[in-house]
Order: sequence, then structure tokens, then C-alpha cells
Amino acid sequence: MRRPILMTKRGGVLCCALMFLTGFSFSGAGPVAKTHRVEIRQMKFNPSHLSVKPGDTVVFINLDMVTHDVTEATGQSWKSPPLPAKSSWKKVARTSATYYCSFHPVMKGAITVK
Amino acid sequence: MKHSERITINALALLLGMFVFGSTVLAQGNPTLSDAEVASAAVTANQIDIDFAAIAEEKSKNAQVLKFAQTMANDHQAVIEQAVALVEKLGVTPKDNAVSQQLKADAEKTKQQLRSKSGKDFDKTYIDNEVAYHESVIAAVKNLLIPESENAELRDLLKAVVPALEAHLEHAKMIQHEMSGK
Ligand SMILES: [Cu+2]
Repeated sequence: MRRPILMTKRGGVLCCALMFLTGFSFSGAGPVAKTHRVEIRQMKFNPSHLSVKPGDTVVFINLDMVTHDVTEATGQSWKSPPLPAKSSWKKVARTSATYYCSFHPVMKGAITVK
Repeated sequence: MKHSERITINALALLLGMFVFGSTVLAQGNPTLSDAEVASAAVTANQIDIDFAAIAEEKSKNAQVLKFAQTMANDHQAVIEQAVALVEKLGVTPKDNAVSQQLKADAEKTKQQLRSKSGKDFDKTYIDNEVAYHESVIAAVKNLLIPESENAELRDLLKAVVPALEAHLEHAKMIQHEMSGK
């Protein structure tokens, strides 16, 4: 009685794993959203220019000893909270944007969504 | 104008003094600063900029200057905390020395100049001094404190501080440029 259920479960897991590996979501509507990493170190965003797909996540990780943030360039769209040393912040990318650090305005970066 | 010129001259004198000191050290081929003295000079240099920022927070009404001063206070405090954590780990006690004393003596003169100013005159004097001070500290860290550090972790910490000092310098120059346009 239990075996068929288990097999179904396994089948489900296998199917899920295959979809994940081939990069398709359950809806089949498009590729699985990726996560991109931007390291903040030595007072720079690395990489300073990043290309992503709509819905991808960008994680900013502060590896410096000083506090930084990530502020959309116009200052009106989005802004991270202050990111102390060793902390991180993530954002789902919907539209292209340029950004800077409001504490150190000489630090700049850009995300291109396409 | 005269006052800010004097402050720049003080900073240059400090810079030159450090170069002379540094070259004497190199000529002797024998480190004059112990790591305990390098640590003291590094902490002192950072504390001085926190003190300048405190005066700015008290006297300035310019939002850009106030935000810059807040960043200076936070960043230099973070550097001091890292330096203190490292010397504790290394079992070193920062030791007062000629470089630390020179830094403190020059800072006292600058603080007097800053306290004598107000309004836009204060903002300009503060930012001009931040440009000159960061230039001289970058030179001192690169040409004196890093070469004088024997401990690799102390040297690495000082090297890691340079990009922050350079970003502060560029930020101060940016404000200086915007002020001169008004
Ligand atoms: Cu920053």
C-alpha cells in the first residue's frame, strides 16, 4: 500500500530535480531566477557592472571594515539599509539601475536588466 | 582665506616632517618605529579625524558636510576598533612616540582654526582641511607606517585602510569642488 505513494514521491522529487537542473520553473513559463553576488570590498562594488534577467536576485555582501549601503542613483527608487561589515542585503532586479553608496558617493555600480 | 592657507601649510609641514622622519629611518636601515608605536600612530591619526568630525557636527548646517562628517566619524571609529582588536590579539600595547605627538600637536592647531570659524567659512575650512589631512595621512600610512610594520597582520590592516582613506579624499574633493562652484 505504501510503496506506490513512495514511488510517486520519488517521481515528484526526480521531476523537480530535473526541472531545476534544466533551468525551468514549475510553471514552465521561463528560466529559474538566478542569484548574483556583488562583493563590496576595498571601497568598490565587484563586479561594478552586472547583467541580469528580470526577477533575478542580486546579493550585496560587505567585506570591508566600514559600513556601506546601496542607493539607487536618483535616490527615489530603492535603497538598502546601512550594511555594517560582514552583512549582506538582497534585491530582486526588475528594472535597470545605476547605484552608489550614500556614505561614500565615489563608490558606484550598475545593474542592467534584460 | 589666511586661516585655511595656514591649515594647509600645517598639513604640508606634517607631511614633510613624516617624509624626513621616514627617510631618516630608511637611511639608518634600521626600523625606528616598533609595532606598538605604529599602532599608536595609526589610532591617533584616526582619532584626530573623529575629533574634526565632532567639531563639524557641532558647527556646520550644511547637510552634505554633516553627512560627510558622520561618515568620517563612523569609518575612522571602525578602523580604530579593528586596530585595537588586532593589537589585543597580538599582545601589543600602543606606545606614544614622536609621530603620534606630532600628529596631536598639529591637530590641536587645526582644531583652534576650525573653532574660530562659522557658517560657510567653517564648511570650507573643514573640507579643505579634510582634503589636506587625508592626503598627508595616506602618504604617512604608505611611506612610513606600512614599511615600519614588522607584523604581517598589522601591515595588512594598514594596507586595507588605504582604499577607505582614498575614498574619503575623493569624497572631500567632490564636496570642495561643488562648494567652489557656488
Ligand atoms: Cu560605502
